[in-house]
Amino acid sequence: MNEFGSGTQATVLLLFTTLVTVTLLMCVMAGPDRDDLENFYTGYLKLTPFRNGLAIAGDYISAATVLSTTGIVALTGYDGYVLAVSTALSLVLLMFLLAEPLRNAGRFTMGDVLARTMPGRAVRVAACVVTLSATLPFLVVQLSGAGSLLTFILDLPHVTGARTVCIVIVGTLMIIYAALGGMRGTALIQMIKIVILLGTSTAVGALVLNRFDWSPGAMLRAAQHGSGAGSAFLRQGLELGTSTSERLDFIGLQITVVLGVACLPHITMRLYSAQDVPAVRRSMSWAVGTVTTFCLLVIVMGTGAAALVGSRSIAEADPQGRTSVLMLSQLLGGAPGSMATTLVYSAVAGMVFITLLSSVAGMTLAAASSLAHDLFAHAMRRGRAQPRTEMTVAVWTSVAVGAVAIGLSILVQNWNVGVLTTLAFCMGASAVAPALTYSLFWRGFTRTGLLATLYGGAACVLLLLVFSKAVSGTPAAVFPNADFDLFPMQSTGLVSVPFGYLAGWLGSRLDHRRRAADSREHRRLYEESEARLLAAAE
Amino acid sequence: MTYADENQYLPPGPPGWPPARTEPWSYDAYARQTPSHDADLAALRSAYRVLRRVSTLTVLGSFVAYVALSCCAPGLMGARVAGELSLGMVLGVVQLVVTFAAVFWYGRSARRSVDPLARVVRDRAVPAGRNAGAVR
Repeated sequence: MNEFGSGTQATVLLLFTTLVTVTLLMCVMAGPDRDDLENFYTGYLKLTPFRNGLAIAGDYISAATVLSTTGIVALTGYDGYVLAVSTALSLVLLMFLLAEPLRNAGRFTMGDVLARTMPGRAVRVAACVVTLSATLPFLVVQLSGAGSLLTFILDLPHVTGARTVCIVIVGTLMIIYAALGGMRGTALIQMIKIVILLGTSTAVGALVLNRFDWSPGAMLRAAQHGSGAGSAFLRQGLELGTSTSERLDFIGLQITVVLGVACLPHITMRLYSAQDVPAVRRSMSWAVGTVTTFCLLVIVMGTGAAALVGSRSIAEADPQGRTSVLMLSQLLGGAPGSMATTLVYSAVAGMVFITLLSSVAGMTLAAASSLAHDLFAHAMRRGRAQPRTEMTVAVWTSVAVGAVAIGLSILVQNWNVGVLTTLAFCMGASAVAPALTYSLFWRGFTRTGLLATLYGGAACVLLLLVFSKAVSGTPAAVFPNADFDLFPMQSTGLVSVPFGYLAGWLGSRLDHRRRAADSREHRRLYEESEARLLAAAE
Repeated sequence: MTYADENQYLPPGPPGWPPARTEPWSYDAYARQTPSHDADLAALRSAYRVLRRVSTLTVLGSFVAYVALSCCAPGLMGARVAGELSLGMVLGVVQLVVTFAAVFWYGRSARRSVDPLARVVRDRAVPAGRNAGAVR
């Protein structure tokens, strides 16, 4: 627990207030003009590749990555290392496979990419539904975590009331960032966040290694001892178990992470704001470099937390280990109450706070953009909405998405909702990734195929996840006392990813047979737009 | 004379890869740009495809192999290679470090193989295109 004097709390509060004030000011000043859609959704393509890369990395490294992944490394060792590797490689995969054609095909949202070869309201609605069902759970899990995290940092009493107030404050700030700042404002915040994040975690990593005289061997020995698991800490199996089905579950989870995380709409949305293909490539190079560096630091920090704090204290404070970075930072400064301790702890607390704020703001913006652009402007008004109206709608949908997310987070704050993170990854891997790869690379893809992929993949994930071990039947599940775990895994990727791809293929074959004229039309549109897709040629 | 249909039949890729497209049904030829434009586009398409497949399969393959080995051969991955460092940990960290090199390699290959072809396609499209100059 937090054993600091009021001096540390005052410093942390002061830091939080400064961060909020500065970022709010910058966000409002960088915000878009009232009636400029291009500016709201893409920020005028004005960011240099370096800055855009930092913004992509900022959107990619969510609070869940910083806190949960470090916690998993601290509690499970090797399994956490694999998770860190898969998190980094997911962005690499996005860069190699999708980034360049996505940038050429898209304009503002995922719906633009998908509707380019098959215009129509059904496609827009489906794109919006999948965007929402991927971003909203991720948003809720981070917001509801914000409550317990802030009460821990500020040493408030751990009661529901205090947590609710924290959630409402963070949620309100997130709405303001998204609604007033648009892509440009949130990009600025993401850049500030990634600089603070990398700087602080490099310092923490250096302090940890310094404790062990820069010897990884000594740190690992201490971590094995501190974890209480001995040499099992450095072997696969602490997270999910070592039986055959549990190992299969582990493989499925990692593959889902690799395929799904980088496809989530709030990350792909940043790609559309790159100036041209070389720019998107350079942006992604910077983003991948930043994320990979951070993942290496996560490994060091997590192992350090296991070594210095010990797994038992970490698991006592939070069974998922989300407070491990904060607990580690309390130990690094030296004597309790000293200047150095206050400094390190405040820096890490500030880093966590700004990460939390910026990642929820980015997700709110992605969900709101899809609602305003796909659902309102294209599905309801059939593309004839005035830019000014669409802007206003985008601002209000940000408020609506934010309000819904706050409400849901308050509702579920006492539950273990880690499963919502899994839900978001699985949606990305099973619905978004198949739809995007088919739409970009297969000219035989048709409307029925697309709808089957999006709805089929999403429904498969939802259905399997409800009956999975993550929802019932295990002590760490949402309903630990209920028992309807018919699907014996934690994540659904092993089944739902092939299902998503198969649904798209079958749907397209059906169209080729039954509606040959339509599928010829889709093929013609694909080929007409191919020069634009591959070379950005109009 | 070249028809749009010829677009379907690309220059053969490296052996062992699946054929590009196998839809049994054919479709009408549509009014399109000049024949040489089609050839340029086909060259660009296959250059992109080679780059994409090589890079994606390398990343995905190495990662899947790593995870599968971690699960199926824990003894091998748990073998100590230097002090406390086990083979599995070393491989994991090496993958992260190699990522920097892979990104650098990808950028260089793309600049060499794809970008010149894309420029040709873009330059040809501009005279015919409506809004020359604007990128999108």
